[in-house]
Amino acid sequence: MRNARRVVVLLALCAVAACRRPSPPAAEPVIDALKAEEREVGLTYAESLGRPVFAHYCATCHGDAGKGDGQNASNLTPPPPDFTASKVMADAGYVRRVIVEGSAALGRSPLSPPWGRTLTPQQVDYLILYCQALAKKK
Amino acid sequence: MRKPQVAPASAHAAFAVLGVLFLAVFSWVYLGEQGAEWRQQQAKFRRIEASVKNPHQLAQAAGVGGIRQVWLPDLGRVDRCTTCHLGIDDAAYVKAPQPFRTHGGTWLTTHPVERFGCTVCHEGQGQATDYRNAAHRAIPFVERPMRPLETIEASCGSCHGSLETPDAPRLSAGRRLIVDSGCVSCHDIPGFEGLTFSGPALDSEGYKVRPEWLTAWLKDPKSSLSRSKMGNFRLKPDEVAGLQAFLLSQRAQAPLAGASVDWARADTDKGRALFGELRCTSCHAVNGRGGTMGPELTKVGDKVRRDWLIGFLEDPHRDQPDTAMLRYRLTDDQVRDLAAFLLQEYRSGDAGPETSPASFQDAAAVASGRGTFIKRGCYSCHRLSGVSIPGKIGPSLAGVADRDPDQLTYGTSGARHTSDNYIYVKLLQPDGLGSPSLMPTFGFTPAEAATITVALAGLHKSDLPASRVVRQPSPPPYRPQGRFGELVTRYRCLSCHRINGTGGDLSTVPLDRIGSQLQHDYLVTYLLNPGAVRVSVEARMPVFHMTPEEARTIADYASTVFVDDTIDRLDVRVDAAEARRGQDRFRELGCVGCHQVGLKGGYVGPDLSNTGRRLKAGWIATWLTDPQRQKPDTIQPNYGLSAPDVRALTAYLMSLGAVPATTGSRADAKPGSPR
Repeated sequence: MRNARRVVVLLALCAVAACRRPSPPAAEPVIDALKAEEREVGLTYAESLGRPVFAHYCATCHGDAGKGDGQNASNLTPPPPDFTASKVMADAGYVRRVIVEGSAALGRSPLSPPWGRTLTPQQVDYLILYCQALAKKK
Repeated sequence: MRKPQVAPASAHAAFAVLGVLFLAVFSWVYLGEQGAEWRQQQAKFRRIEASVKNPHQLAQAAGVGGIRQVWLPDLGRVDRCTTCHLGIDDAAYVKAPQPFRTHGGTWLTTHPVERFGCTVCHEGQGQATDYRNAAHRAIPFVERPMRPLETIEASCGSCHGSLETPDAPRLSAGRRLIVDSGCVSCHDIPGFEGLTFSGPALDSEGYKVRPEWLTAWLKDPKSSLSRSKMGNFRLKPDEVAGLQAFLLSQRAQAPLAGASVDWARADTDKGRALFGELRCTSCHAVNGRGGTMGPELTKVGDKVRRDWLIGFLEDPHRDQPDTAMLRYRLTDDQVRDLAAFLLQEYRSGDAGPETSPASFQDAAAVASGRGTFIKRGCYSCHRLSGVSIPGKIGPSLAGVADRDPDQLTYGTSGARHTSDNYIYVKLLQPDGLGSPSLMPTFGFTPAEAATITVALAGLHKSDLPASRVVRQPSPPPYRPQGRFGELVTRYRCLSCHRINGTGGDLSTVPLDRIGSQLQHDYLVTYLLNPGAVRVSVEARMPVFHMTPEEARTIADYASTVFVDDTIDRLDVRVDAAEARRGQDRFRELGCVGCHQVGLKGGYVGPDLSNTGRRLKAGWIATWLTDPQRQKPDTIQPNYGLSAPDVRALTAYLMSLGAVPATTGSRADAKPGSPR
C-alpha cells in the first residue's frame, strides 16, 4: 500500500514537472545588437559589408546615399548620376562591369575609374549588394 | 543413458520472443540507417542534378553516394557537411534549394573546402550527418553551434591576426575599437602585442588642473567630455575625494615662468588666428569637430590652470614626455595669445578664480587616494613616478573564447550561455555579472560592444599550426638618431607619419621612400609653410614655425636616406613628344575628375598643377604602375596602365609647373603647360 502511495506521489511530481511552462528561449544579445544595427541602416549583413568600401572609394563623388551629390560631384562633367533612380542597378552583371572595368569601357565618360585591379572580387561583391540596397531604399 | 532434456515450454516462448525482438531491433536499425536523413538528401540531390546538368556533364560528374568528409589532421577536424551540401563548390547550383546551393561570394576560391572544411569558419558539429545534430541551431550540450552570419567574422579572427582584415570589416572594426579604447593597457590580448595606449602623465597634475574639474572628471569623465577615452570607474564619493587629493598633491615640476606673463597685453584675436594656422583641429576637436589624436578642447578653459597652459604650449615635452603633441617654435607673445584665446573661448562659463595649488593637502586623503590609484590600476594608462607598475591589472584575454560557457555568469541578462554573450554583457556592465569588477564602464553602445565581441570571440587558446596563421610580423621599433632624430622628436613627425612601420597613420604615404618621391627644394619649402596638397583632407600638416636650417636638415636627411633605388633609377624619358601623348592619356582616363590642374579638376586627389616642381619622375611612374603597393588603402585606382602609357603620363605630369632648373629630370621639362 505504501508503495502504491509512493508511486502516486512520484507520478504526481512528474505531472507537475511536465506541466511546468517551458523556459522562455534564452536571449541572444550579441546577435540582437548586430541585427538592430543592421535594421537601423536598413541593410542585411552582406549588404552592410559594402558600406565601408563605398564610403572609402565611392562616396566622395557619388554621395553617401548614391544620389550623385558627393563633395566632388560639382567638379565632374558629366556629373555622377543618381544611381538609386537608375534601372540598371537591378542588373548585377552590368553594375559589376561598371565597377570593375570603369564607365569608359561601357562607352560612357571616363570619370568613374576601373576598380578591378584595386578592389578584391569579394569587395566588389559587397559593393554591388550595397549599391543595390541603396537603390532599393531610395 | 540420459534422457535428452527438453526445455520447458516457457524457455521456448522466451527464445521465440527474443528472436522476434532481435529481428525487430535489427530491422529497425537497418531501415533507420537506410532511410537516414543524408541518404534522403542525396536522393533528392540526384533528381536536382539531372535537371541542372546535361547528360554529358552528368557522366563527367563524380557519382554521389555515401558519407563524404573532409579530414583536416592539423586542425583535428572531420567535417561531413558535404555529405548533404553537395553543390557547395559547384556554380551550377546557385539557384538550387538548400542544402545543395552553391556557397555565396568568392570565399571558396580563397578557402577551398578540401583545405579548410566547413566548421573552421561556420562552427557547428562537423561529424554529424543530420540537420539537428550538426547544430545548425543551438542545441543543448553543444558549446559551439553554427555561427549566424552576424558574428561569423569572429572565425576569421582565429587565423587572420592583422589589425586590418579587409574582407572582414566587422572584425577589423572591432579590433580598431579595442585599440582605440585602450583595452591593451590592462589586458594582454593575443595579436595586439606591442601596442600601447596611454593617458597623460600625472607627475605635475597639481599644477595642471582645477580641483573642481578633477572631481567632476573622476566621477564621470563622459559628463565632462562626451568623447573621453577614459572609462567610468564607478568610484564612491570618498574614493573620488581621496584620488583628487592624491592627484593634486602631485607637483613634480612647477610650470615655466608663469608669473612673468603680462596677461593684460594678451590679444585673443591673434590667438584665434594662431589656433587656425597651427592646425590645432587636425588633432583636437572643438565643439564636436576635429581630430581625435589629442583631447577635445571644447571645455579646456574649465580644466587647466593658466600658468600650466602657458608652460605646456611653450614646451609640451617637459611635462608630458610621451605626448603626441609637437613642440611649436613660438614666441612668448604668441604662446600667451594662444593660451588666452583657448581659456576665453573654450569654457562653459565663468569658472571662477584659480585657487593656489598649495592649498590641497590632507595626509589621510592623499594616502587613501594612492591606495585607490593602485587598486583600480590607474597606472595602466597614466604614468606617475613613485608608483611602480606590477604588470597588467586585467586578466590576459588569450583563450577568452574557450571558457566553458556554463561556468560563466550572465547576471540578470537572461542570455543564452555562450562565451560571446558573456563577453558582451561584461563589456556593457562590468559589475552586472554578480561580482564587483574593477573594470571601468566605457559607455559602449550595444552595437560597439557586439563588434568588440566579434573581435574577441576568435581568441582561442591557439593550438593552430603556424601554417594556418595569417599575420604581418610587427617591425622592429624605429628611432631616428642624431640631429634628424632630435627634429623628428621635437616636431613629433611620427605622431602622424610612418617610417619603417613605426608611427601614426594620419598622413598619406609612409616616409620610407619620401626622398624618392619629393624633390629636395620642394620639401624644404613645404616644411617651412605646409599648404594643402589635397583640398578635401581636413587633417592638415601644422605650420611648425621651424627655422630654414631645420627644414634643410630634414630635407637633406630624407633625400639621402629615405630613398629607393628602384624608383630613382627608373628609366623615364621626359621629352615633349611623350608629354603630349601623356596629356592625351590624362584626358582620356578622366584624371581631371579627381585631380586639379590649373583651375579645373576635382578635389579628391592632390592638386597636380605644380607636379614638375614637387614630385620626382621615377616616383610618378612607380606610383602609376601600382598605387596600392606604395599605399595599400589609397583611393587612386590601379588603371593597369601599359609601360608606354606610364612613361607618357609621367612626362606630362613632370611638365606641369616645372621650372627650367628642376633637379632630377633629364631633357627639356616644359613642353605642354596646362591648357
